[in-house]
Amino acid sequence: MIKQIQTFLISLIIATFLVVTQTTATNLIWLQSINMPVDMQVVLSAMATDLVDMNSRGAFPVIGLIFVGLLIAFITARIIAIWSSIKKPYLYALAGGAALLAIVALMPLAFYNLDLIAGARTVAGKAYLVVAGMIAGYYFGSHPQQGDSNEIH
Amino acid sequence: MKFTNLPMLCVSLVLCSGSVFSSDESLAIETEVETEILAEGLNHPWSVTFISADEMLVTELSGDLRRVSNGRLNPRPIMGVPEVLFAGQGGLSEVLVDPNFADNSLIYLSFSAPDTDKPKLNQLNVIQARLEGNVLVDHKTLFQSDPPRRTAAHYGARLAFLADGTLLVTSGDGFNYREQAQALDNHFGKIVRINTDGSIPEDNPFTNRPNALPEIWSYGHRNLQGLVIADDGTVYEHEHGPQGGDELNLVLPGKNYGWPAITYGVDYSGAMISPFTEHPDMEQPLKYWDPSIAPSGMILYRGDMFPHWQGNLFISALVPGDVRRLKMQDKQVVEEETLFTEFGRIRNIVSAPDGSLILVTDGEDGKLIRVSAKK
Repeated sequence: MIKQIQTFLISLIIATFLVVTQTTATNLIWLQSINMPVDMQVVLSAMATDLVDMNSRGAFPVIGLIFVGLLIAFITARIIAIWSSIKKPYLYALAGGAALLAIVALMPLAFYNLDLIAGARTVAGKAYLVVAGMIAGYYFGSHPQQGDSNEIH
Repeated sequence: MKFTNLPMLCVSLVLCSGSVFSSDESLAIETEVETEILAEGLNHPWSVTFISADEMLVTELSGDLRRVSNGRLNPRPIMGVPEVLFAGQGGLSEVLVDPNFADNSLIYLSFSAPDTDKPKLNQLNVIQARLEGNVLVDHKTLFQSDPPRRTAAHYGARLAFLADGTLLVTSGDGFNYREQAQALDNHFGKIVRINTDGSIPEDNPFTNRPNALPEIWSYGHRNLQGLVIADDGTVYEHEHGPQGGDELNLVLPGKNYGWPAITYGVDYSGAMISPFTEHPDMEQPLKYWDPSIAPSGMILYRGDMFPHWQGNLFISALVPGDVRRLKMQDKQVVEEETLFTEFGRIRNIVSAPDGSLILVTDGEDGKLIRVSAKK
């Protein structure tokens, strides 16, 4: 059980890192495009600041949103896995992608079509975040779970 | 089991996050003023303007234009107001009377409405109409923001007349389109200047710049909800910033006010919008607020009822709900006082012809509260 929690937390960290840094990159790429002085120091500083502030200073902690999303998605995937023959890494990848898709799709519905995560304002940005969820899910599904054999699927 | 408690902890953190700001500075003036409720039960009142000494017009964001005569709210809304998109922050916003209203009965309204070709999109509209009795007639569209937007937020929508009779319109960044505030080919995050027939003044700052919209007067703004013109022509504007970035600006034609390339605030998600707070080609605010106050309206006080406040800016604020009195000296803020903290979110503030202040409270049961000198 403890190992499962560890695996879940690592997948949560993976998804959160990818989501946060994508927002950082979105902002900095635009700033660079209008000739603002974006150098490596600014990039690293902005990334570090966002990793802390998006999980502590905002109206909602991004890691909390992703936590809830992945938890629901992975529990659902586990139930589906009982009678599904889909390999677990792929099943959980789909679940992780669905979790992030739900977050980026449902949030605007709750806030007047506003995308509160800046990196999710474009279709490409939303797609990237879904892929981030899939990567986190793939990681989770690639590790043995309670009741599984030691075989890596 | 410990594992299943974590979501609840997370939800609790979400619900408890946010900041609160309060001040007791208003105590200093409580002995000087008295308040009375002029009208209540207004559905999201947004803007108030006087059409005579005893009569005012009030917009409700939900789409009605109301008349208050001699302190009594007319139960029948004024007819002939266009259909508006009442969603999010959108709806019937500003009402402004023509400088020659006594002669021509013209008023100006700003509102959000669906785009006629793409009804899933919407845009900010400004119209002129004539008030005849209790009906608006002779509607004329003066301005429609372009391109239309998907979001229902950050419209700006304030109007003000310059001394030369041209009309300034604030057009917000639409939230999702903030980067467009730095481009001159659209209306996101701009102040535009038009004539009252909808034409564009020839002396606007970008009329000769290729690919720039000629009606743009200044740019790099976010959600501009306060706009006043001083007697010497100085234009003050305030705008909702992100967290910690509400600004008061002195606006000059052709200038770039920086949003979102420079800002003192961070995004609602906590993300850094820009690591930069200044740039040689971008203007600095006269003042910014951190934490945010959510400024919602502004007047320059010229009345006689409170002579010691003449020349001060009064800014209504939604969070936590108060009025900021800013003493100005040489176009700089030299003093700030927090007033009227007891009424909750204040959507707007206006000055009545007798010099009293009218506070407009926010929400479904909005009130007009008159603040007068205690007799």
